[in-house]
Amino acid sequence: QTEATFVPRRGGTGESWEPADAAAVPFLPPNASCWIPSLMPEDVLYRGVLRRKLQAGKSGAALDFTKQLGNFFVDHPEDAFGSLGQLLHKNFYLGNSKLRREARDSTIRMTALREEIDRLEARRGCPRKHLAPRLRWFSHLCRDWLFEVPLGPLADCVHEELLLQWAGLLFDDSPTGGALAWLPPKDMGARLGRLVYPGGQAMNHLYFHDVVLEELPRTRGSPAQFELNGRIRQVAAARVDGEDFVGVRSDYHCGVWRVPGRTGAAPTPLQVIRTSMPASCLTVSPHLPGELSVCTHSGAVCLWNVETGLQRLRHDPQTMFFRDHSPWRWSDFTAHPRVLSCADRTGLQCLDARAPERCHFDLFKVGEEAGCQQGERVVLPMYLGRAHPSQHLVTTQFSLYVLDERLPLVPMLKWAHMMKAPPLFAHLMPGGPGRTHKVLLGASHTQELLLLQYRVFTNQFLTCPSTGGSRSACQLVGPPQKLHSIASCLQHLPVQLPHRHHLLQQRLGTPAAGLAAALQEDGPQESLLVFQLSEAGDVFCQRLTHKAAQPPMPTAEDEAAPQPSPAVPSPATALRYRRWLKALSKGCGEPPQPARPPTLSQKRLFTRKELALPADPSTLHGQARQQLRQTMWEGGCIQRWAPLASQPCTPLPPVEPVGELDPLSARLTAAWSADWGQWWEERTSFNMAQRQQALRERRRRQKRARGRRSLSASFTSSLTYQSELSELSDTAPTPLSPGPPPVLPREGSPPRSSPPASPPPPDEALLSSQSLRCRGVPQERRKTLRDYLALWAEDPPEPPEPPGS
Amino acid sequence: SSHKHKLNFKKSKEVCLSYIQDAMLQKQWKRAAEFMTFYAESLEKDFSTAYMGPSEMIWRIGTEILCYHSHSSMKQFNSFMEQMKTLGVKRYLKVCLEHAFHLLCNGLIDEAYQTLSLAESWRFGEQTAIQDKEMKLIQAYRGLLDYYSWSKQKNILLEHGQDGFEDLSVEQEMHSCFRKAAVNLKEIIKVPGVWDVFVKCYVDLLEFYGDHEEACQVLKEYAYNSKFPSNPNAHVYLYQFLKRHGESKKSLISALKILHDIVPSHELMIDFNTMLQKSKKRKKRRLGLEVIFAALDYAGWKENVKAWSCLARQVKQIVTSEKHLDWIKQEWNSRRDWWPAFHFSRYLAKRNWQENESLSYEKALVAGIVLGKDCKYFKYVSHQGCKAQVKRFQILKKFVNKHSPVYLRISG
Repeated sequence: QTEATFVPRRGGTGESWEPADAAAVPFLPPNASCWIPSLMPEDVLYRGVLRRKLQAGKSGAALDFTKQLGNFFVDHPEDAFGSLGQLLHKNFYLGNSKLRREARDSTIRMTALREEIDRLEARRGCPRKHLAPRLRWFSHLCRDWLFEVPLGPLADCVHEELLLQWAGLLFDDSPTGGALAWLPPKDMGARLGRLVYPGGQAMNHLYFHDVVLEELPRTRGSPAQFELNGRIRQVAAARVDGEDFVGVRSDYHCGVWRVPGRTGAAPTPLQVIRTSMPASCLTVSPHLPGELSVCTHSGAVCLWNVETGLQRLRHDPQTMFFRDHSPWRWSDFTAHPRVLSCADRTGLQCLDARAPERCHFDLFKVGEEAGCQQGERVVLPMYLGRAHPSQHLVTTQFSLYVLDERLPLVPMLKWAHMMKAPPLFAHLMPGGPGRTHKVLLGASHTQELLLLQYRVFTNQFLTCPSTGGSRSACQLVGPPQKLHSIASCLQHLPVQLPHRHHLLQQRLGTPAAGLAAALQEDGPQESLLVFQLSEAGDVFCQRLTHKAAQPPMPTAEDEAAPQPSPAVPSPATALRYRRWLKALSKGCGEPPQPARPPTLSQKRLFTRKELALPADPSTLHGQARQQLRQTMWEGGCIQRWAPLASQPCTPLPPVEPVGELDPLSARLTAAWSADWGQWWEERTSFNMAQRQQALRERRRRQKRARGRRSLSASFTSSLTYQSELSELSDTAPTPLSPGPPPVLPREGSPPRSSPPASPPPPDEALLSSQSLRCRGVPQERRKTLRDYLALWAEDPPEPPEPPGS
Repeated sequence: SSHKHKLNFKKSKEVCLSYIQDAMLQKQWKRAAEFMTFYAESLEKDFSTAYMGPSEMIWRIGTEILCYHSHSSMKQFNSFMEQMKTLGVKRYLKVCLEHAFHLLCNGLIDEAYQTLSLAESWRFGEQTAIQDKEMKLIQAYRGLLDYYSWSKQKNILLEHGQDGFEDLSVEQEMHSCFRKAAVNLKEIIKVPGVWDVFVKCYVDLLEFYGDHEEACQVLKEYAYNSKFPSNPNAHVYLYQFLKRHGESKKSLISALKILHDIVPSHELMIDFNTMLQKSKKRKKRRLGLEVIFAALDYAGWKENVKAWSCLARQVKQIVTSEKHLDWIKQEWNSRRDWWPAFHFSRYLAKRNWQENESLSYEKALVAGIVLGKDCKYFKYVSHQGCKAQVKRFQILKKFVNKHSPVYLRISG
């Protein structure tokens, strides 16, 4: 009996739970309806010079009050200036023309003022902007009477709202507890559970959805749906006597649903209460059916029984142990069904519902007993009754504590979690005899997710003196483990266009709003399914598989033990990602991506003769052809056809312009000398004579320049041309539009040996206005096009030489 | 630019720390260790006044990594700890204590003893209050280890003593261990706190040398001093001590009464109830009923057959004697609105009957008395019991039917 065994409060090797996939997987289709990105700090803070000026003095954030107030006048001009605007609109003239003499007496021309304002807008952010005298004059003149809303109260409201929004950005406690609940299968080993989650544009729809636990869990049938009166903040569930009771909290309403034990039975709403102050907590009793506890921001703690109604246990706007400004309150159940724990930011007390004034004791105090840091505050308490009837979890922004209500104030376990944001969600999965209990901790803004394991000892004493002695002390087993966040799946999604990627990043990075987990036993194989809800209403899930403890290998086997999660998602997962993305783009009203990239018929560009193989194809020609084929086979974009890296850049043969140019050669030559755009303009210009004149001019110029042309000049110009074109090609041109059709950038010179050009006669059907219309060519352009196409038919191989050349 | 440099340094320190954390949370100990070597540079400009500065971080994170890293050895751990001890004067004692804990958990008792003794002889300037407390803890742990060697030698002596062989040197060593242990243990338990291990060991020492008075005094002080946190274990130790020394029923009952007041759900409440039920005094029997009712209020006791049989026995006794029915009535009054749903629902009747027949028997008896023969629980269980032709259920049904007027008096 004297053989001493020492067990550390933290350490050992816990159960091994390995992630089965590379990232979290979408579990449900994206929450329908257009999603409004959540507020960002940039939206309410001053930017630029002013911010630096304001922040130089003090460390606090500078809220952009003027911008928000200005937004009101822009967003609600009717409310701000409605009737005065109507009164004055005859006297304000906004047009461009001069005022008539008789109107000048009663009307002011405001156009110049408007222009000043526009210019001001354009100079936004410029440190040297000064108000124009005209604007200064106008604002002096109208400051007191132009708007009808009393500015003082409005400013107060804007200021208050701004502070609220900012406080919410810094730390929002309204989703505490999480809005996701898992109702496990009715009997062990069954595979049909139920997920309760909020959805809809305003997150005000409550869904109960059957879920089949499989390799990748899937939903079955359509969910039972309830529309509620406000955004759902929290969904709490507990099972009593084989029935699930689900409590739902929104700001001013709390409701309770019953889900009967039979599989497939519909959930029934039982009761709803309305609160005058926002509710901050709703927990469901694990002991008695239809019993819940509610807390509100007014400091009230109530026991709510569906049959007997509400019983107020406490009403105290002050915090319990020291002063703290936060109105947040929380309450949960304890081992005794009539005793409730009741928390604020400073600690926890236990209240007896039978005599709440007299019978209470302190369970946890932020202070020296628990070894708390300065500024440490309670973030989320949770009753761990399913693991041990008298234990409670308390998390703060720094640490996590396990408390035993039989030995209050002295934590059984303390661990600094080092999470970047305070954990607002927690989920307990009790382990059977000989197994560890698992706790999941989740943060909202950073989407962090931690898995911890702990064990409760009986009749063991621990080496640390501050733990609770020999009875029921507990041990944190193994190192805590980080799970995938929703945002981590971004890198595994198919590549997106930059703006879509950004949107997706925003969507996936929205703060988490809930956490639930299901334990699935498949014979010897155990796995843990972790569901995560985001504030946008998306539900993701990930699977962890349990590796049963193998006999320890004497070799260096353990180096392989911490297996990194698979780097790439499985094909089934990838399919889910693609489906989810597709549904997201459909749901958010974005134009569906074209099935194929726009194609251009080559018939319109070259004739068959032109495309025909020359009699003696050069090697360059062959290469060009081969690369073209390869690009086509790869489905790539011809315009972006970069020279193969392996192939050294062969010097181009010098261009020797031919005297007589067929249209194609002329075009290509023009392209070569980088004034192809001009050539196009000339080609399409209305005035044929002018065009021909210009052509002649150009030819003359070319003739003159013939001697100067050198290889290097042509080479550089071809390079610039190519880069210009690739920029241009980003906007895909439609065939037959009057814009310049994309051209194949060439590697070599124009095929000199091609047969003399005889442009094809334009297709008669092509020129008919009907066919042009059905090709989407607007009426006013049809003539241009016809003229242009007619050029090909004219075949002007030799414009008459101007006299005197 | 020096300001900028400082900012960047701070930033990169933070980034490095987050990398380490990330690696640790993914059990990539090797990667964490590599980043840790970079993080050590942050000590260079450690002017932080934060709650946890870099040196403390390095100590804590380094310990954690060395605990799990596959290539770490005890030697490495020890040398790391030695380095950490020199890193901060204020933390010296804390690091020593943690080092000793680590050695103890790995079964290296002698090394731990050495570490503690070394730490004890350490002096640095004036001691702060925290250091004073830490020093007391170090001494107490050394005392605890002295106690273990004492009890080892005691066992050797006892074994040899049976052979009629006495070893004087062992005996002397044992006594010196006793003295060293007793001095240190006595000190720590004067400080308010939860010192279960130390108190137990100290009492064991005192009891061995026959100083019962002192032992009892220590235990009473530990249990009743209001400066100490309310600790149910203290009362349990006192009760066990009193019981060992054959103290009177009265003192045992008073010890358990206080335990009952602090923790009504304690396991000893069953012993307490049996003790009280046997008592001749009415008041004590009344207290017994209260104790067992209160224990069954707790969720952890819901399926405790022993407790239910205690309650059933006492209820049956009261009902048959028809005396003190008001006791049951009083206890029941405060529970009538929630016990039926908590203990006597139809769902529980079904489940108890399937899983634990004797539990359902005891509960059915109580339900039949307090809720009448028409209550769901009693009806279901007695029906099933009679159907299965279990004799005691048939007797139970007769008993409840016979005493059905009692229900009216309790509920009325």
